[in-house]
Amino acid sequence: MTYNELTRRYFEHPVRLGTLAGPDCYRGAAGSRSAGTWVQFDVRVTRTGLGLSVREVRFLAFGCPHVIAAAGLVAEQGEGGAPEPRLPQTIHSLRERLEAPVEKLGRLFVVEDAWIAALRGAAGLYQAPARGDEAPTGH
Amino acid sequence: MSASAVYLDYAATTPVAPEVAARMAECLTREGTFGNPGSASHAYGEAASASVEAARAQVAAAVGAQAGDVVFTSGATEANNLAVFGTAQYYRDLGRHIVTARTEHKSVLDPCKELERRGWSVTYLVPDEDGVIDPARVAAAVRPDTVLVSVMQVNNETGVIQDVGAIAELCARSGHARIHVDAAQSVGKRSVDFAALGVDLMSVSAHKAYGPKGAGALLVSRRRGAQLTPILYGGGQEGSLRSGTVATHQAVGMGAAFELASAMPMLEHERIAALGERLWRRLREMGGVMLNGARAARVPHVLNVSFEGVEGESLLATVQPHLAVSTGSACMSATQEPSYVLRALGRDDRLAESSLRFSLGRFTTEADIDAAGTVVTRAVERLRQIAGT
Repeated sequence: MTYNELTRRYFEHPVRLGTLAGPDCYRGAAGSRSAGTWVQFDVRVTRTGLGLSVREVRFLAFGCPHVIAAAGLVAEQGEGGAPEPRLPQTIHSLRERLEAPVEKLGRLFVVEDAWIAALRGAAGLYQAPARGDEAPTGH
Repeated sequence: MSASAVYLDYAATTPVAPEVAARMAECLTREGTFGNPGSASHAYGEAASASVEAARAQVAAAVGAQAGDVVFTSGATEANNLAVFGTAQYYRDLGRHIVTARTEHKSVLDPCKELERRGWSVTYLVPDEDGVIDPARVAAAVRPDTVLVSVMQVNNETGVIQDVGAIAELCARSGHARIHVDAAQSVGKRSVDFAALGVDLMSVSAHKAYGPKGAGALLVSRRRGAQLTPILYGGGQEGSLRSGTVATHQAVGMGAAFELASAMPMLEHERIAALGERLWRRLREMGGVMLNGARAARVPHVLNVSFEGVEGESLLATVQPHLAVSTGSACMSATQEPSYVLRALGRDDRLAESSLRFSLGRFTTEADIDAAGTVVTRAVERLRQIAGT
């Protein structure tokens, strides 16, 4: 298996690796190690003058180099954006940039699922007070 | 793959020994024995034929066979095919059942599967968790209609040694099945004595023992009266068992390589065993590692290690620029197929995929082993950190 330069870079030197903790952090995970691919994102969301913003992202990943690179790219691109439960770029665009074989699309969907799970949690964090519900505690 | 990567894949192939290459070169040019060894009508052919027969004697001497037992082939794959198809075809009127093991090489398993498609019945024995096939279980699987038992001597992925002598002895009491041994990984790693093992057929390979690729042999025991139907027809070479002009340089290279292998001093085996132990000690320090076949008799040249908590493709991608090793999965384009050998030992798909086979050889040094230990330890620890395991 050969990997393009972008994949190599984000696989060999993963950015935003790790975990986050705190009341303003939310975690989303998808896949399973036993199935070969598992990804977890932690996002820290803050309110700014312009609205809600993803301030910080960290990830963990068990998977092939394309999965690790994709998770790092999503984590990097996700910072500074609105906490909307969708990828900063489509999974197909991500696959093309990484030149991942089409057979790996299923693994990349795990990255997307984990990201959406994290962002849905974050959205819940900020919607809850508006609905008058109990304030979420994160994680 | 960097050309400077440490080579620890000697079970896949070995470099041709310089003295072997020199002997081969002598057969290629006009000044050498370039004639057709089948051309008995002139001196060129006679000279080539003499070279081939000398090589045949070298191969036979190295593995305890008679020169007349040696049928040169294009390699162990062809030898295995000839053993399975040739025996099945020749003895088809006596029965249509074969006994083999799930951990055999594909060049035995695939011919068996093809025979199943043609109506044959095949029993695939499952080894214990260390990869050992109990000889009593082999004998128990033999039926009145069994015509062939095929078991490899040294497993190519794990280095586990099967007691083929005991298997042959027990099977001889159970019926009339012919015994075939795939010994492609044996020569140069342990002593091989075809006659003493009491088997009928044995496949050997040149390129696993510092000989050329594309050269091998099937040993067919004349003393035991083993018979085969050929799978290639043409000029009737090799006692009509393998038609086609014998490649003089390949046979000569194989003979020279086998002579070198049988002359390998015990000190060299001990050196390689010490290097293998040094690598295993280093790897097991990090924890979460498993030596496949650990409790079985193994050749010391091969270490197959499973690493918990890392994904196989990422492990290989990390070590590959620095190390030439084999993985526990066969890369099939974009997807990976876990090793069927490790699966047969009870490893799950993830563990089978995150396994590396380190195979040591003549040119492996202590510095190579230390470098390999460092590269793999760093890779596993880094991937475990990324995975949070």
